[in-house]
Amino acid sequence: METITLAEGVLVRREAWYRRFVKSEALTGYFLISPAVFLMLVLLAYPFVLAVYISMTDRVLGESGKFVWFTNYIKLVQDPIFRNTVWNSFVYTFATVFLKMFLGIILALLLNQDIPARNLIRGAILLPWIVPTSLSVLTWLWMFDSLFSVVNYILLGVGLISRKIQWLGDPTWAMVSVIIVNTWRGLPFFAISFLAGLMTIPRELYEAAEVDGAKRFRQFWHITVPLLQPVIAVVVLFSTIWTFADFQIVYILTHGGPLNATQIFATLAYDVALVAGRIGEGSAVSLFLFPALLVVIMFMLKYLRRE
Amino acid sequence: MSAKKRAPSSTGQGMSRRRFIGVTAGTTAALSFGTFIRSGLGAARINILTWSNTLNAMDDTLREQAKQYAKEKGVEVVFEFVNQTDLPTKTAAAVESQSGDIVTAWSDGAHLHDKALIDVSDVAEPLGKQLNGWTNIGKDIGIVNKVWKAVPWGIIPIAVVYRTDWAKEAGYDKFPDTYDEMLVLCRKMKEKGHYSGFALGRAIGDANQSHYPMLWAHGGAECKEDGKTVAINSPGTAKAVDYVRNLFKQSEIEDVFSWDDSSNNRAFLAGELACTGNAASIYWAEQKNAPQLRAVTGHALWPKGPAGRFGYSTAMGLGVFRFSKYPKECKEFITWLMQPKQYSAWIGVGEGQIAGLLNFYENDPVWKKDPKLEVIREIPKYVRMPGYPGPPTRHAAESMVKYVIVNMFARACKGTSTPETIKQAEAELKEIYAKA
Repeated sequence: METITLAEGVLVRREAWYRRFVKSEALTGYFLISPAVFLMLVLLAYPFVLAVYISMTDRVLGESGKFVWFTNYIKLVQDPIFRNTVWNSFVYTFATVFLKMFLGIILALLLNQDIPARNLIRGAILLPWIVPTSLSVLTWLWMFDSLFSVVNYILLGVGLISRKIQWLGDPTWAMVSVIIVNTWRGLPFFAISFLAGLMTIPRELYEAAEVDGAKRFRQFWHITVPLLQPVIAVVVLFSTIWTFADFQIVYILTHGGPLNATQIFATLAYDVALVAGRIGEGSAVSLFLFPALLVVIMFMLKYLRRE
Repeated sequence: MSAKKRAPSSTGQGMSRRRFIGVTAGTTAALSFGTFIRSGLGAARINILTWSNTLNAMDDTLREQAKQYAKEKGVEVVFEFVNQTDLPTKTAAAVESQSGDIVTAWSDGAHLHDKALIDVSDVAEPLGKQLNGWTNIGKDIGIVNKVWKAVPWGIIPIAVVYRTDWAKEAGYDKFPDTYDEMLVLCRKMKEKGHYSGFALGRAIGDANQSHYPMLWAHGGAECKEDGKTVAINSPGTAKAVDYVRNLFKQSEIEDVFSWDDSSNNRAFLAGELACTGNAASIYWAEQKNAPQLRAVTGHALWPKGPAGRFGYSTAMGLGVFRFSKYPKECKEFITWLMQPKQYSAWIGVGEGQIAGLLNFYENDPVWKKDPKLEVIREIPKYVRMPGYPGPPTRHAAESMVKYVIVNMFARACKGTSTPETIKQAEAELKEIYAKA
């Protein structure tokens, strides 16, 4: 234990109590983690507790408000717009996470092959993830524009559609559009994470399977999938949380419209809290799913620890 | 061991760390003390939180006027220009942190923050007397519970913007004066392949500003005069819903459901739109982007319906914060700013971007500059705020940002029956108005 000797060497001549303190391991332990605990308290716990507290007040911007227990939450359940929002958020999250997972695995498998300029392609794949979302979504906004949509132009040109699609104007297509853009933005993260997972799987397993006569699909199903599972779990967990809290894509593309068809938690919380000024209710909107997410997270983490 | 090595340099020729910290701290303290003394003993300094105008020239005029005021009265005035969409958040932050002097009360701002604002009746009333009185909308946004909480500063007038050449083709030399006639005109233009469009998507400005007037003009309203009782379920609303559905089916482009605030501008500039609701901004943009359209672009008042003529434009007032150290100076400055010399110079560079809310400014020279913009001077007379006939309350603001009225119309255009869409809007409004 080199550190302790060093510490003794420096401090021994000063105070004896200090020496005793340093020698007591438990105390030192607490002392050493205290900066981390302090940071967690200040940066994570305080804002969170404050948000929970505010969600239980009828606070409006600029006034302090009073404590109303769960009134905000109860009102939300009765609100048709909010119920619609919950449904949309689930559709948005599950559709995008599923698509990203499915396409991500395919992409990772492709990138794991011996293809020319592999590293270059791997780097390029990351682009949608690197470009600031707000900028790339603005480009999508132009691509989906009702009048000047390049997507419609091409589809019409090759004869796939006979009249232009109202990408952001039709409730169903609007949801499809935000799902497409979210998938596009998040796919690189999935693909690269899966690729990293794939690269840790020893080649010998595949070679052995091949000797035993297993075909490509069986190799994938019995070797790749089980060994990739922990990575899939982590990536899906993160992505689910991020997508539930997503704001930028929907806000820029549809702002929750048309007819609230793409209104999700974050955009509704923004409208309620910052535009309409109802901070209490807005906090309740954004915290509404917290208990459900917490359960998901706990299950996932438990599963991971077992793995 | 490293301590031993470092020792000579820290006590030697260089400055020791301790000494460095001491000197820095001392200097900082001295400097901040100086600033403190200057700010405490020096002249008054007024900070004004306001929106940054899309027309830079208007903001430049305000800056120059502030300089001039400082020279004349010895009071320093600083305009803090923020993005229009950030203004509500910045205002809230200013109220929470109790900083700032004058705030631009955006639309319902004076009503939302009335507790943070002082009584400015001694500014608004003399100004009204001096300059032919305030318009209705001025009183609506400025007076909260019978007390002036903001001095009405102006509106961004929203007019009907249309293609005069296509209207002429359809047999109209000027824009019709009633909604029924407007429907006929728009239908005739569509028959010739020229679509109209009034945003029904998430265009916080255009969608609301086009459809609230249609609601009111047909006798509909979201609440009663008390501003508390939901009154959307009425024959007037039904008439309005039917009207908007007809207008959409017979004349509008399908794109309106996805439109944001800039979509109709783009479509009009691309020569794809015959009639829409907008500020004069399309007309200015044409100068640069579509000069050939300038001669055939016309502005008109929103037509009359069975219940009269209405408009809805964003309005703003100037309020003074309760916690300002210089309330007297703030009031003097606002009075000065509203005087014809300053005010005319300001709206003069705007060319229709801002219209005054004192009746005097209906005859401002700016409206004589361009005959195409002249009709805009009348708009303030007809403008009302969401919540009409009640005051512009927080509930009315919330129903607007949730697009309750716009969505009511949009559903009807998508095929929902009139009673059904009104019922849904009523449920949403009741939810909102039930709140404290």
